[in-house]
Amino acid sequence: MNDVAQLDSTLAELQPLLMKLARLQLRNDAWAEDVVSETMVAAIEKRPSFEGRSKYRTWVVGILKHKITDQLRRRMREVSTETQMESVETETFDELYDEDGRRLSPPLDWGDPEDVLSTQQFMAMLQACVDELPGSLGRVFLLREWLEYETTEICKELSITATNCHVMLFRARMRLRECVETNWFAKRAAA
Amino acid sequence: MKESWVMIPCRTAHRLISEGMDRPLGLGERARLRLHLAMCAMCSRVEHQMDFLRRAMRHIDEG
Ligand SMILES: [Zn+2]
Repeated sequence: MNDVAQLDSTLAELQPLLMKLARLQLRNDAWAEDVVSETMVAAIEKRPSFEGRSKYRTWVVGILKHKITDQLRRRMREVSTETQMESVETETFDELYDEDGRRLSPPLDWGDPEDVLSTQQFMAMLQACVDELPGSLGRVFLLREWLEYETTEICKELSITATNCHVMLFRARMRLRECVETNWFAKRAAA
Repeated sequence: MKESWVMIPCRTAHRLISEGMDRPLGLGERARLRLHLAMCAMCSRVEHQMDFLRRAMRHIDEG
């Protein structure tokens, strides 16, 4: 196989990952399909500019991130309306704490988990936990933690207050923490 | 720990741990959070876990 054919077959193999990431961030299958198509076209058209300095996969994911940002900008009105509606519902995590604000069940000791970051099973579990976050919460959380936008930018683009933004990110992090603990660290501790 | 203007409950500590990842905390907030974390092993755990989850999220596109 020559280099070009090799890159094309790698691109085809990357499609499921691209789709998974686009769906996680956009929370809309049709938008995600558009973004993945645009990404794959761009990856083929821009192939001459791929210099092989980064990994091909990293380069393609970089294109995907740009396409996702473009898509979110185009859909900003819908995204912002959904976010405002969903962020009104209150979730206080009261069930996790006693009346003095202490955790009812203490958080587990996760040990020194650095090495799990390179394992597929851990990443698959993490993706599943992010997927379980409700739509707007997941979008805001990934904008912050995956696309690495500043919180002030996110609030401004989505027309939500800074307080609301912080509450949403707090809720997302707490939910993710519970999910990862239940589905990974508690199981390891029990095993 | 009894709640007071200086002793914040774990619930508030968790919120401040999260907000500290999104904005610089005020001096008073930071002091109360540090004080709480110095005395509460459970919340120190949560702080490390939040930090770990942030690093893990940076790798989410590799799986
Ligand atoms: Zn505490």
